[in-house]
Amino acid sequence: MDAGRHPRIELLTHSEVEEVSGYIGNFTARIRKKARYVDPKACNSCGDCAKVCPVVVPDEFQIGLSLRKAVYIPFPQAVPSSYLIDMEHCLGNNPLACGKCSDACERQAIDYDDRDEIVTREVGAVIVAIGAEPFDPRALDEYGYSHFENVITSMEFERLISAGGPTAGHFMRPSDRQVPKRIGFVQCVGSRNPAIGRPYCSNICCMNTVKDCLLIADHYPGTETVVFYQDIRAFGKSFEDMYQRSKEAGARYVRGLPGEVEEDVKTRNLWVTVENTTSGKVERHELDMLVLSVGVDPPRDLKKISKLLTLSKTSDGFFMESHPKLRPVDAPTKGVFFCGMCESPKDIKETVCQAGAAASRAGSLLNAGQIHIEAVTSRIDAVACKKCGLCAPICPYGAIQWKKGEVATVIEAACAGCGNCGAICQYGAVTMRHFTDGQLFAQVRAMLAEDPHQKVLVFACNWCSYAGGDMAGISRLAYPASNRLVRTMCSGRVSEEMMLEGFRNGAAVVLVSGCHYADCHYINANRQTVKRVQKVWDRLEKAGIRPERLQLEWISAAEGQKFAKVMTRLEEIRKTVTPDEIERGRTALVPKAKKGAAKAEAVAAVEVPA
Amino acid sequence: MAATVERFRCMMCGHDYQETTDLEEDRERSCPRCRSNSIRHLKNARPAEKHGE
Repeated sequence: MDAGRHPRIELLTHSEVEEVSGYIGNFTARIRKKARYVDPKACNSCGDCAKVCPVVVPDEFQIGLSLRKAVYIPFPQAVPSSYLIDMEHCLGNNPLACGKCSDACERQAIDYDDRDEIVTREVGAVIVAIGAEPFDPRALDEYGYSHFENVITSMEFERLISAGGPTAGHFMRPSDRQVPKRIGFVQCVGSRNPAIGRPYCSNICCMNTVKDCLLIADHYPGTETVVFYQDIRAFGKSFEDMYQRSKEAGARYVRGLPGEVEEDVKTRNLWVTVENTTSGKVERHELDMLVLSVGVDPPRDLKKISKLLTLSKTSDGFFMESHPKLRPVDAPTKGVFFCGMCESPKDIKETVCQAGAAASRAGSLLNAGQIHIEAVTSRIDAVACKKCGLCAPICPYGAIQWKKGEVATVIEAACAGCGNCGAICQYGAVTMRHFTDGQLFAQVRAMLAEDPHQKVLVFACNWCSYAGGDMAGISRLAYPASNRLVRTMCSGRVSEEMMLEGFRNGAAVVLVSGCHYADCHYINANRQTVKRVQKVWDRLEKAGIRPERLQLEWISAAEGQKFAKVMTRLEEIRKTVTPDEIERGRTALVPKAKKGAAKAEAVAAVEVPA
Repeated sequence: MAATVERFRCMMCGHDYQETTDLEEDRERSCPRCRSNSIRHLKNARPAEKHGE
C-alpha cells in the first residue's frame, strides 16, 4: 500500500513483463499493461457494478471457497483499489452483451473499449520476486483430498479461519458447515518426498501448523488437534517456544505420516490410520476435518522469467543464486537480484530480510553509477570474425550480440568470463582475456614437454575443480604426482582443440573437470563442456584412439577426496596406455586443415592480453 | 521431448547401461556403478527394447 503511494515508485499492477533486453545498468523492459475496462482514476470502489453483474465465478483469492463477479476487486488490499472486468468471464463487450455494470456506475468508470497497452521502461537493475506455488495435493491420493470434502489444504484453512475469508472467520467444515471438534494436520505434503520429485523441506509448513494449532486453541477452546509429522522443524527465534506453547494448549503431536484416510459415509468424519513411530503402534484417529500442510512448488512462471533474464534453476526447481552463502540475493546475471520464495522456500521474516538485501544491492549499484567488472572478459577480433554467430547463442549471459552477416560484439558489462565463446570459435576470433588460446595451448605444451607419456593433463575450472585440488592438498590427501593442472575459469573454456592438443603432445590421459551442474558459476556454461567432450570421444574413436583416455568429472571445491580418488583412477588408466597408443595420439589427430589454419595461428602465438 | 531408452557407457569403469531418459533434461549424469561423470552417450545404438534385448 505504501509503495503504491510513494512518489518515486511506479507500480504497474495487472501487467506482465514480456521482454527484457540490455544488461546491468541498462535494461529495457517491455511491459504489457492489461486492459482493466474500468478507469481506476474514476472508480471509487463503491461496488455498484458488482451488485448488478449477473456472472459469478469461483474467487481465486478465496481459493474457490466463495464466488466473485466478473467485475471485481482481486483482493481487499489490491492497488489500485478499483474494480476491473474479467473479460474472460464477462458476457462480452464486442458486441456488448450485458452492460449492466456500465449502467450502474454513476461515475462512468466502465470503459468497454479499453485495450492492452505496451509500455517500455529503462531500468538499471531488476529484482525478481515472483513468489512460489502451493503444492497440489491431488498428486498424493492416499490423503483423499480429491474425494473427501472435509480434507482441505493449509491454504484453504487460512481462508476459512481468516476474518476476511468466505466465512468471515467462523471456522466450519465444508460438508455440513459445523464447527469441527477434532482436527488433524498432516505435515510434509509435497515436501521431503523424493518419490514425487520434491526432496526439499518447504521451510514454512511446520510453524504454520503450530500457529494454526494455537489459533484453534484460542478461538475454539476444547477442540482436539492432532499433528502427524516426520520432524517438527522449529528453528528460528521464538519458534521452539511457540511449538511448546501449542503442546501446552492441547495439540497432540504424533510422529508418523498417515498411510490411509477413509471417510465415514454417514457422519463424513475421517478415519486416519497411522503408524506412531514413537510407540511403534498403528493408531486410528477419528477426525472431523483433516488439514494437509502443503509444501511449496517453484513458481509457474519460472521458465518464462528464466528466459527473459537468462537465469537458471537449481535441482529443486527454484532460481539459482550467484552463491548460496556469499551472494544469496544476486542472480548469476549481473544486475538481477532475487527476493522471496522464487529463490527457495522461506518464511516472512527471511523474505523481508532478503527483500531489504536485494533493494540495498540494487540501490548501491544504481547510486554508484558505474561498475567494476572482472578483467576476464571476451573480446572479438572484427577482422578474424567470420560472422558465423556460433558464439552468440551459447553465451549463458546473452552478452554477445550478433546479427546475420555482421561481426559479433561483446557487451563487456554483461560478460562474466566463462569462455564458452572462445571455445566454440573455430577461427580464433574470440580472445578470452587472461585465458587466451595462446596462453592455454602454451601451458599444455609446456606441461607435456618432458615425459608426456607419464603425465595426466587436467583442465580444472577455477571455482570448483581447481579448488577441489587445493582441498585435497590442504587435507594432506595422497594422490599420484602424474597430474598437471591447467586452470580455466570454467570448463566451458576448454575447446575440443585443447583436449586434442594434449594427445598431440603425448599426454597419456586428459581430464576435463568442472563444477557440478547445480554449482556452475556461469549459469549453465558447463553443459557445453559435456557436448564437447562427447564430440572428442567420437573423434578419438574414429582416429583409433581409446576414448577412455579422455575423462570428464565434476568435482566441487569441497570434494578434495573425490579429486584424490579421480587422480588415482586416472593414474591406473595412464599405466595401461602403451607407447604405440601415445604415438597414435601424436600422429592421428592432425588439426582440420581449413578451420585449423586460423586456430593454429592463434595457437602459435602467445597473445598478450589487452 | 518424450523420454526414450538410451545407452550409455562409463569411460572410467567401462560399465554399459541403458536408461529411460529425456536427453533434453538438464541432469548431471554419473555411472550407477562407479559414480564417475565420464558418461558417454552411445548415440548410434538403438534402444534395447527395439532389439528385444
